[in-house]
Amino acid sequence: MTSSSSTTTPSKHAFETRVGDVKAPKSGINALILDYLTKEGYPEAAAKFSKEANLELQQEKTNIKRRREIQHAIHVGDIETAITALNDLDPEILDMEPQLHFSLLRLQLVELIRQCNGGDITPALDFATTKLAPRAAMNSDFLKDLEKTMALLIFPHDSLQPEHAALLHSDLRSKTATEVNEAVLMRQAQGEAALRQLVKMRAWAESAARSKKKDLPERIELGLNGEDNDDYENGHEPMIIST
Amino acid sequence: MTNPFQSSSTFNGGDAFSMTGTGMAAPTTQRRSSYANIVSGTTSLRPPRAGALSHMLNPADNDGGLYGRNSYPEFTQTRHDSTDSNSGTWQARLGSGLPRLSSAFEPFFAKEPLLSMPTSEGEIYTNGLPNLSNTGFLSPSYLHGSIYLERLEKEYKARLAAEREGHAVKTQVGAGSTHLPKSKLPSGAHRGVSYELVEKPLLIDVEDEGISPLPSKWNRDDKDSQLEVLGDGYEVEYVGRSQAEHEASAVRADHYMPPQCGVYYFEVLVLHRKREDTTIGIGFSSKSVALTRPPGWEPESWGFHSDDGNIFAAQSNGKPYSDKFGPGDTIGCLLNFREGVALFTKNGRELPTAFRDVNFKDIKGKLYPTIGLKKPGDHILANFGQLPFQFDINSYMKKQKNIIMDNINKTDTSKLAPSLNDTELIQQLVLQFLQHDGYVETARAFAEELHVEKVALSLDPNEHIEGINIKDDEDANNRQRIRRAVLEGDIDQALKYTNAYYPNVLADNEQVYFRLRCRKFIEMIRKEAELNLVLEQRGVTQKHQPRRYYEQEDEEMFDPAAEVDSIGTLSKLSQDALAYGMELRSEFDADPRREISKHLDEIFALIAYPNPLKVKEVAHLLDRAGRGVVAEELNSAILMSLGKSSRAALENLYAQTSVLLEEMRQDGGDGAFVTVQSVIDAIPKPSLV
Repeated sequence: MTSSSSTTTPSKHAFETRVGDVKAPKSGINALILDYLTKEGYPEAAAKFSKEANLELQQEKTNIKRRREIQHAIHVGDIETAITALNDLDPEILDMEPQLHFSLLRLQLVELIRQCNGGDITPALDFATTKLAPRAAMNSDFLKDLEKTMALLIFPHDSLQPEHAALLHSDLRSKTATEVNEAVLMRQAQGEAALRQLVKMRAWAESAARSKKKDLPERIELGLNGEDNDDYENGHEPMIIST
Repeated sequence: MTNPFQSSSTFNGGDAFSMTGTGMAAPTTQRRSSYANIVSGTTSLRPPRAGALSHMLNPADNDGGLYGRNSYPEFTQTRHDSTDSNSGTWQARLGSGLPRLSSAFEPFFAKEPLLSMPTSEGEIYTNGLPNLSNTGFLSPSYLHGSIYLERLEKEYKARLAAEREGHAVKTQVGAGSTHLPKSKLPSGAHRGVSYELVEKPLLIDVEDEGISPLPSKWNRDDKDSQLEVLGDGYEVEYVGRSQAEHEASAVRADHYMPPQCGVYYFEVLVLHRKREDTTIGIGFSSKSVALTRPPGWEPESWGFHSDDGNIFAAQSNGKPYSDKFGPGDTIGCLLNFREGVALFTKNGRELPTAFRDVNFKDIKGKLYPTIGLKKPGDHILANFGQLPFQFDINSYMKKQKNIIMDNINKTDTSKLAPSLNDTELIQQLVLQFLQHDGYVETARAFAEELHVEKVALSLDPNEHIEGINIKDDEDANNRQRIRRAVLEGDIDQALKYTNAYYPNVLADNEQVYFRLRCRKFIEMIRKEAELNLVLEQRGVTQKHQPRRYYEQEDEEMFDPAAEVDSIGTLSKLSQDALAYGMELRSEFDADPRREISKHLDEIFALIAYPNPLKVKEVAHLLDRAGRGVVAEELNSAILMSLGKSSRAALENLYAQTSVLLEEMRQDGGDGAFVTVQSVIDAIPKPSLV
């Protein structure tokens, strides 16, 4: 990893002092963590946290697990399994959410194209004509997405336009998985994880305050990867998820 | 002088305007007696013309009132400051003799959210004015949940507490009233840590210069001499002689409209006008504006006038705005600091924007609700939020919030940590928090699940995905051990571990040490009280017991089936607690700090109750959630002693967001409408049975 060369200004900005004086209530932070682990589907971590922090689980573990299994199937590119599991969990969801259904089928097409890898493209073509084309005909956005995806069949994968290449990136899987998970939560009358809200609120508040010309330090560090000098000196290992 | 309300029989609909029947314009003593009559429920003493008030007090014909449920019943003497002089009637009211009056309040009790506010400190909101606590704290519903109101209330309570101590007066307010909301279980229980015990958003203001209160009444010291402020200060009547064309008499409210609210709103009910051509001006002005002019005619004043329906923005030429208004109309005035606009409402209906692009903040931030009256008999009644408004201000406020929330939801978070996408950023925040705070097992489980996710997402089957190395951090394990001991209520064990692993921490953090010692005492009392409950339940199995405190507990409770020499155990527990309490007292008795002795007094009071778990005023002290608070304090102290940053990035993020919002709150900007706490409050409660 690269450590951001922290050239801390000698005197602390008034903003930083004020931040230092605000105590984040642990109960609130703990609630955020459990909510996140539950909503985003980390059943083991949620169960452990509920124990370690002495909190009641928000949802039953099996519930969290089922959503995790669907996400996992999407992550590995096994869309068929994901759709089956999703139908088991919530038989009406795909009918009620045509956009979601289309996203899944489109991802399935991408996976089929990935599998043929320059070989026989018949399965992918068949899938496109039977499953996707009828839906695309009814919605111009769907149609555009389908066209973009079909381009993958025509052009060699190593010389794709960026927007086409993006479809083959694993981000599409993780994005679709998140979309599915959030749709399931919505149908259970739950929103996205509150922590996502908080992170957005933080980003928004900074840009809004800057646009109002409030007196802020040039950069407001989160102290995540040891940007904060203190953390380094005191043996807080920066954590990285290697990819 | 003539009593306009007697003569109002000639006026169409006069019934409804003769609010208090006799004595409206008479000195307060007389008014008081009329109140007392009503309170005591003796209809025979009521003058015939008091019909309008009886509408309001008697539910049977309540709907017949001209102003419906949102009308302004005249509770001239319901506040605590008057209870002394009126104690006789006061008690009568609280007692059983008053079904009529009590039920008249019910519409307010039923729908007003204030009553569901926590009553943890024994604060009980019983009085007639729904948005006014019995201590007189004004809490308009549209500001609920705002930092501004929260701080105001905190300050208010602190002042009240100081006063109470100063005068050494202890009154048990509201005891015996039947209107008390049923006390609720601590709603924070699912979080393990009670947020009632933790101070809420804990914003320590750097330049805490005090916070300006809400306007709450008309200011007797800031009015033209022709006007009289009546009763509790909500009513104003013109009592002087007729004036020349250009004159009017104005009065301002006691406080300015605080921009930190984001939106400020008040309503004025026009009670009576003697002639059709008079002027009532409703609006706002700065302190510098002469009180001989209606709001709107002078610089730094804005107003909406009844005689022509025009609006005036700091000049004597008006602009057509709406219809004329008159007796029976309720006019609302709304100032939106965020958008820099003002508008009026009429009888609950929103009128178009009246003043735009006026930079209200530039008027030194101090604009007061202002009213201008002109002719004898002109008479208005203001609602500064002490009652529900006619206009649905809560929805207006909600719309403002939604605009901001939409912007927040659209925000791109990629700037926060350029090397990470938003999902990775949040994963890192969580993982780092778990490690930092010593949730070792959770951190491992989470790292494992993240690893599985990474592997699944990998497109190249040959790629090696490295696991996340959660360091087997001895410190983290030790801290976890200590935390667990505290959470289990085993304070002795926690003290032992702490002294073994971190010998200096307790000595260096006296406050934490004190908290731990106190917690031990609480745990002893708790044990005794729990056993007591168990015994009681065995003894009186048939009777329905208030079991909620018991049910809240889990496996850790005494097994009711277990054969214990319970009585003996109980007295032993009791003796031990007492002995320990004395030890504690002697250890800290010499401590001059007030909060120390105060806390000691508080917890020692627990001994006085046969079973404190059943006394809701003190039961919260025993709540298990209190363990979490102590555990976190201790954990922070240990981290500090290790020279580690006392908080994780996630906590930084929380604190930064609070301060950033604060920056945008002072002038009534976006920050006045959203709070970090609201995000946390939106977290669903456990759905497990």
